[in-house]
Amino acid sequence: MQNILSVLWPSFLVAGIAEGIFFTLIDPRELYLFGEPVHFSSLATYSIGFFCFWAICAASSMATCYLLRTAQEFKGADQET
Amino acid sequence: MLTPLAVTSKPVTFVEQGLYEVHEKVYPRSVTGVYATWRWLMVWLTQTLFYGLCWLPWNGRQAVLFDLTARKFYIFGLAFWPQDIIYLAVLLIISAYSLFLFTAVGGRLWCGYACPQTVYTEIFLWIERKIEGNRAARIKLDANAMSPRKLLLRVAKYSAWGLLALWTGFTFVGYFTPIKMLWVSVWSFSLGPWEIFWIIFYGAFTYLFAGHLREQVCKYMCPYARFQGVMFDPDTLTITYDATRGEPRGSHKKGEAYKAQGKGDCVDCSICVQVCPTGIDIRKGLQYECIGCAACIDACDQVMEKMGTPKGLIRYSTEHAIAAQWGWKEIIRHIVRPRVLVYTAILWTIIAAFIWGIATKSALRVDVIRDRAVLAREVEGGLIENVYRLHVMNASEAAHRYAITVSGLPEINMIGERIIELPPAGDRTFMVQVRVPPDSGKRGSNVIYFEVKAMADETTVIREKAAFIQP
Repeated sequence: MQNILSVLWPSFLVAGIAEGIFFTLIDPRELYLFGEPVHFSSLATYSIGFFCFWAICAASSMATCYLLRTAQEFKGADQET
Repeated sequence: MLTPLAVTSKPVTFVEQGLYEVHEKVYPRSVTGVYATWRWLMVWLTQTLFYGLCWLPWNGRQAVLFDLTARKFYIFGLAFWPQDIIYLAVLLIISAYSLFLFTAVGGRLWCGYACPQTVYTEIFLWIERKIEGNRAARIKLDANAMSPRKLLLRVAKYSAWGLLALWTGFTFVGYFTPIKMLWVSVWSFSLGPWEIFWIIFYGAFTYLFAGHLREQVCKYMCPYARFQGVMFDPDTLTITYDATRGEPRGSHKKGEAYKAQGKGDCVDCSICVQVCPTGIDIRKGLQYECIGCAACIDACDQVMEKMGTPKGLIRYSTEHAIAAQWGWKEIIRHIVRPRVLVYTAILWTIIAAFIWGIATKSALRVDVIRDRAVLAREVEGGLIENVYRLHVMNASEAAHRYAITVSGLPEINMIGERIIELPPAGDRTFMVQVRVPPDSGKRGSNVIYFEVKAMADETTVIREKAAFIQP
């Protein structure tokens, strides 16, 4: 549980900041998705954008968490399986 | 109110699986006093602002509205476009420096009195107390097996929390979508899917943070709590237990000559621990969990009053003051120190720049973007044409007619709207074609100027540079 939260929570904070900066500089109506102009409502674009940022940041946090494990920890995990 | 000292309970040991670690559930005991009154004042002030401001009308629109769809922020008489991001950035810097200054002078004042986490926890705790009773009653209720009464109390509490959380979520979304329309949509069941989502999302987080996580948010989730220590120095006012006066602690009766027996003023009633929202013992010294709410000061003062000893065994004081037993005069004299002076100077400089920036903010904004699809083309009569997209933004509180002209090349001419009309705080994007003879200007990029002028007010004029491509 603690690991899940230490992945989700900081990435949530950073995603919020990234979302703010990104959409301040870029108008969602000017985005293209697979070569087509984005046709969602602005609110939908902002929301989907936020979750994409969150997912990306979470992936990074997850990698950090994964690599932070000490040799002892992952040796132990191997023995358990 | 504090209950009589006689019923002081033993330390509570309900261990529950928290989201972060196994922790003991904290049952903060209700407290009254000077600092509790200040906190409630701040709760009223911040929440009247938060729940009320979105309903305030201004010049026919919502006074404070962050209109994401139109990419326009309204704050009373001011309209901001994404191009005005600098103001937001400066505002954030001002907030950060204010936080540094307050923390250097008075410790975690923000955490103890104004942070939404503190404020909502306080409101949720109030609801909990009204429904489930005081601290002792809540501990007992938790220990009891499920019964019809317990179920009823639980349902009542969770429903009350839920309603408040939903209202908070609704208010939050109301800052991004005009709240009166949102309110109508609720009752006509026509809320958009994302509006419903964000109301529930924000509401659920409020419920979780204020109802269940509480002090764990401050202890494990808040980044500020982790670095606020660096702004402290030995002259920072913090909630401090005066160990020289209090120790050795031990119970004694009122009027007893306890000092002759070598005892200190602390009667070890543990009420300072019971009122603590983060469940720490302030007598162990300054700890990072302490959010500076001063509940223990209020609680201890009441006990000291009953015991007939001077108040302030736990008080706002500084490391230096406790060590040297300074009075208030000395403490206040030490507030003015290099760190505080530097923070103050920086803060006022930025505030002054911000006010100057807002006051001299132009009532008109123009963006000129060359059309990306067309570089340059030859049109009838052998003329060369470039296409531009103009975005004209009226940042004033009056409707205006604007005249648009172009200059910078011989025989330059503009096709398209030459006069546009904009409502207060309105904006429009439109295309114009600019034509010149093929021998006008040099080959390649030429500088031209668009001039947008308010027709009623000659002083409101913007000249924007653009590039004209001559093939």
